[in-house]
Amino acid sequence: MRGGRIRRWMRRWGAFLAFTGPALLLIAGLIIRPAVETIALSFTDKRGAFVGLRNFAEVLSDPETFNLTGFPPGPPPWGSLVHNAVWILLHLPLTVGLGLLLAVLLERARGATLIQSIIFLGMVTPMIVGGVIVRFLFDENAGILPALMRAIGLTALGRSWTAYPETALLALILGSVWLWTGFSMILYSARLSTIPRDYYEAAAVDGAGPLQQFWYITLPSLRPVTTVIVAMTILWELKIFDLVYTATLGGPGGATMVLALQMYLYAFQALAFPQAAAVATLLTLLTLIVGLWFVRTMRSAE
Amino acid sequence: MKRIGSAWIPLMLLLGACVPAATPTPERIVETRVVEKPVEKTVEVTKVIPTLTVIGPWAGAEMDQFVPVLKAAKQKLGLQIRYRIYRAEDLAKVLPPQFEAKQAPGDVIFMWEWWIRENKDHAVDLTDLWQKEAGAFVLQPTPVDGRIYAVPYVLWVKPGFWYKKSFFQKHNLQPPTTWEEFLALLDKIAAIPGIKKPIITGDGVGWPVGDIAEHFLIAFGGPALQQDLIAGKVKFTDPKIRAIFAERLVPLLGKYFSDPVEWTQAIDLWWNEEYGLFFMGNWLTGMVKDPNDLGVFPLPGTRGVVGGTDWAFIPKYSEHVEAAKQLIAFMISKEGMVLRAQQGGKLASRKDVSPEVYPPADRALAEALAKVEQPTVPDLDDAVGGKWQSLFWDQMKLLWVRPQMLDNVLRRLDAEFPAR
Repeated sequence: MRGGRIRRWMRRWGAFLAFTGPALLLIAGLIIRPAVETIALSFTDKRGAFVGLRNFAEVLSDPETFNLTGFPPGPPPWGSLVHNAVWILLHLPLTVGLGLLLAVLLERARGATLIQSIIFLGMVTPMIVGGVIVRFLFDENAGILPALMRAIGLTALGRSWTAYPETALLALILGSVWLWTGFSMILYSARLSTIPRDYYEAAAVDGAGPLQQFWYITLPSLRPVTTVIVAMTILWELKIFDLVYTATLGGPGGATMVLALQMYLYAFQALAFPQAAAVATLLTLLTLIVGLWFVRTMRSAE
Repeated sequence: MKRIGSAWIPLMLLLGACVPAATPTPERIVETRVVEKPVEKTVEVTKVIPTLTVIGPWAGAEMDQFVPVLKAAKQKLGLQIRYRIYRAEDLAKVLPPQFEAKQAPGDVIFMWEWWIRENKDHAVDLTDLWQKEAGAFVLQPTPVDGRIYAVPYVLWVKPGFWYKKSFFQKHNLQPPTTWEEFLALLDKIAAIPGIKKPIITGDGVGWPVGDIAEHFLIAFGGPALQQDLIAGKVKFTDPKIRAIFAERLVPLLGKYFSDPVEWTQAIDLWWNEEYGLFFMGNWLTGMVKDPNDLGVFPLPGTRGVVGGTDWAFIPKYSEHVEAAKQLIAFMISKEGMVLRAQQGGKLASRKDVSPEVYPPADRALAEALAKVEQPTVPDLDDAVGGKWQSLFWDQMKLLWVRPQMLDNVLRRLDAEFPAR
């Protein structure tokens, strides 16, 4: 009787454990344990004594994290937390919008594959290299953008964007748009190619014009992929590091400091590991919010 | 079929046995000598040649100047040597976990001296090696419990403003001897057609901008002031320091200095005569098209310039400690030092190396430095280190484009200065 029950249990769970066990073990050892340890570290001091929320208070009261004294109309620095928020506010609509626009425009264009490949190059460029390119792209002597600005008479923008607090953050965000737009464009293109043509033909028979077709057929069909793009882009914006590290190292005067770079500087320059862990925990919480929203949206879409 | 299979097996085994003998591993190169003795007997003597890994910060032209020393060492000592590039900032992050695992990425590593002292438990004691040469050196390492773990190599200095002699001749310009002459020179350069700004400001992550500020501090506050700043005895908001910034440096920023430009790119722009002067360390002599056309002057009245050396150490976990010691001994010997000095871009740290061995630009610099009261004032941000170092660079970059924020900058430097 008991043997039969064990066999049934084994049949039911044996295969499940055999397939998921190794992956779960790896996740537990390589992701969950370090994450738990990092969170625990954020509540201790250098000697390992529990200090409650002191590290969080220290990090959040640091003007490098949150500093609204010069918030618009004053130029940055506004603190890494605000910079990350600005990054999301500007970068997200620009990359999603541009990606969608390019995908729609190139859907039936001649040579679309070649153009898409060129745009997608930004995605395969290592971000460390991307940071160097961005620095030169906005450089007074070598950069195309300052040269363009001078050519159209905007001399105030004809200087090195990354050298000035007013323009450095914007330069990095625009550089990141260039590097990241390929991602949304490719996902949108892939989804567009799977929308049945019959829908459009039927809509055309009913007298719908291109704009109506786009609004009532294309956009609703793109909703699930948009959720993926938005979630991935916000995560990218929250964890942005290498681009900033190579282009400006958070400067000038902290005008481009972001959370991930701040965490790195706390950990490896100041050797203040509890404070670094506090920033890491804040970042984890923020990404968790995005992750939960993503999972819920995908579930409800299903 | 089975027979064919059984014929293949011995053949494969035979080939397999031959392959290792024909292909020495890249780590250990085996030299085989066949010695014939009077009696008809053949003896095989196998000598293992260690492959040493040397890690240093020099890349590009600087690496090209260092490689001949390694080649000479290879020939003289019969070693295999490979060179890998790692900046000290990167090594500071890479080495600690490696040391914890009792591993080392290199056998001879160039690093900051203070860092080696702090990590002496992972370094080989070089006291015996150093004592043989100590008397010949201008710089002395700081012992830890009477033992030496790092030895100095060649000198770098940040001597002042570089100019092209041909450019100065063409426009009838002279290196200044007073502050007023310096300002007049900047005005003259600014008036030359095609000149964007008299001085191009180098940038990277910010250190070249910081170097200029340090040069002003030493020129107008003296070498002792720099030492006091490093020790935390003087604050940046001190009226003395503020006056140097406010009265000497800040008035020049918008008018005579360019915005910070990537320093390697700045070399080309300056060499193409879009700018007249360029502040940089003496490694510049190896990075321009014609080093013989180089001239340099410090700010008038300067009694010291920032200078230092790269420090070599051997990690305890090196597999070839004795060979690594031989290599260091060669590099700091007169022969090794002369060889490095001949390549240019660095100055010998030995007193017994004659200025004649240098290429012309470096020789002129060596002779000029001989007249400077203190040619090796410690670098401010290197000496303080940590997070403050990058903060200093960043705040100087901010000051360059927003001189009106001087007081904010100075306050921030004080606020973040590490507690001593």
